[in-house]
Order: sequence, then structure tokens, then C-alpha cells
Amino acid sequence: MRLITHNMLKCHVKNCSDPDKQFPLRFKGTAGAEEVKLEQIEAERNDEFLVRMLPRLEWGALAITAGELNIPLPDKVPSDPAADDGFLQALHTAILEMHVLEGTMFCNGCGHEYKITKGIPNMLLGEHEI
Amino acid sequence: MKREPVPDTAALDPAAKEAQFVHRVYAEIAQHFSETRHSGWPFVDGFLQRQAAGSVGLDIGCGNGKYLGANRAVHMIGVDYSRELVAICAERGFDCAVGDGLRLPVRAGAFDFAICIAVVHHYASEDRRVRALREALRAVRPGGALLVYAWAQEQQGRRRFDAATQDHLVPWETRAGAVHQRYYHLFRKGELERLLAQAGGCRVAESGYERDNWYVVATKTALP
Repeated sequence: MRLITHNMLKCHVKNCSDPDKQFPLRFKGTAGAEEVKLEQIEAERNDEFLVRMLPRLEWGALAITAGELNIPLPDKVPSDPAADDGFLQALHTAILEMHVLEGTMFCNGCGHEYKITKGIPNMLLGEHEI
Repeated sequence: MKREPVPDTAALDPAAKEAQFVHRVYAEIAQHFSETRHSGWPFVDGFLQRQAAGSVGLDIGCGNGKYLGANRAVHMIGVDYSRELVAICAERGFDCAVGDGLRLPVRAGAFDFAICIAVVHHYASEDRRVRALREALRAVRPGGALLVYAWAQEQQGRRRFDAATQDHLVPWETRAGAVHQRYYHLFRKGELERLLAQAGGCRVAESGYERDNWYVVATKTALP
């Protein structure tokens, strides 16, 4: 799972106890700790795509997640991102090259856990949670 | 080939019916099913090609991911209930998650468009079919489009169905000759439009018939 996907995911338990805290899903442990296994897979950078993605990302959430996983990313989007090579490279690495292979996400509201196995997040709920 | 009698599903509630005659079957047949799903349907491909470059799309019930890479200028995420099919998507390098179409694990309005191809006919009650459409619309931003396909009761191709009922078990035969029954609710002309109206918050932009399926493009008009 890449962070471009994680940034779209949200806890969806019926009657989640705290809807304001359903997003972003947090990670148990951080990179380096055993709970989260990360891998960087190089990908070709496409600046036009990155700039177009910016309005679709929730930046505050992405910054929190990157911080948890020790992936370098600025707290704020620069005023002219298209012209900021360092920023584009950091964004490219954070959302398109870093893969979470194993780990557990949890909802900051209700505490529900979602496991990531072989890079695939399992977001299924029990029938009583739907 | 050995023919098992078609099981009686009348006693099962909708969730149990889907568990046994949809989810369990796709878990069994995932690999074989995937090998038979290569080329996209022309209208779906055309819909994906006309999405703006840099837009973000959700494929609900993405199966083996045959539409996830159809347009390289957009970013697609696939969700499917079958972990076996999602594993195939992941092997192919697509962004995907295991999830339930009745309760999509995504933030509201995060996607510029969504597709839901040959999925809603697997829900075993009208209430669940409407809920699935409402969830799909929730994922799309206002002004964004949702493309839905569902198998048609009126199809005149390889398979013919008893017109007296819309609820059918359709056999899937494995190479070894075993038969798995899949549950389908076959859609009548105009039914997708009616259910989308019930789901609310959208208007029908386009509708038609392709490859034994009814389809509708709905434009999201409001936040839920």
C-alpha cells in the first residue's frame, strides 16, 4: 500500500465513536519498529501528475502519516510547488515510491484495527459493523 | 460432467446468500475467473479514457484489475471483497484494498469518478443494491461521475433466463468440472435508474445497453 492510497482511506465502522478522528488511519509502531515494514520501490517521476494530485490529497493527514513512518515530507505545500524540485522529489518518494508491506492501521476514534498483509490493506468489517 | 441440483436459497437472508453464493465462489474461482477477464468493455474503456488527466478514480468491485491501468493519465484505486482477486491486482502493481461495497473504506468525495462494473447484481436484496449505489456516490465528489453496469434480464446472447424471476443462480464451471453457483439479481430496463433515484444525490447523465448489461453514468449532484 502506497500513501497515495492511504490518504483516501478512512475508518468506516458503523457508529464509529468519534467521526472526527476516523481520518487519517494511524499506524501501530513506526518505521524501524517491527510493526511496520516499509519498502522503497523506485518509480519514474512525473511532475505534472504530482502537481495535479496536490488538491486531491489531504495534506495535514499525509504529513502526520509520513511523520509516523519516518518518511521525510514538508509540513506545508510551498507557494509554487511546480518550481520546487526538492518538494516534488519528497512528494514523489512519499506517495508513489514508499510501500507499506506489513503493518496495522487503527482508527484514532474507535480503535478499530485494519491489517496490511503483503502490501494489501484489509478493510473488511464484520456484518455487525456495517 | 456431474450436475449438482441447483441449491434452494429461499431460506437464506441476503447477507448469507452473498456469503455463500458470491464471496465464497469468487474465493474459489479467483484464478480461473481472472484468466478469463482480459479486455475491457468498449463503453467502460471510453468512459475511463475521457476522464481528465490527473483525476483520481475508484473501481468498486475491481476484480482482477482489468480497468485499473486502462488510462495511465488518471490514478485508480481498486476495492474488492475478494482478497484473492485483490492479491492479483497487487501482483500487477495496482493500488488496491480489500473492502466491502456496502461500507467503502474511503473518505467522502475523495474521488473524481468511480466505476462499479458487474457488481451490484450480486447484492441479494433491493435495499442492499440501493445502499451499494449510495456508498459509491458518497466516494465521488459533487460533479463527479459514477459508471454502473449490471447484468440484464433481457439479454439475448449466450445465456437465456426465465423471465418470471430476476433472481438466479448462474453456474461457473471449473476446469476440473466442478460447478459453483453464483447469485445474480438480473436488472430490467430502467431499474438502475430507479435505484439511483432512490439512492439520491445524483442525476442520470447517460444510459444504455452493452454486452448483456444495462449501464448508467450518474453525475453526483450533492454531498450526502
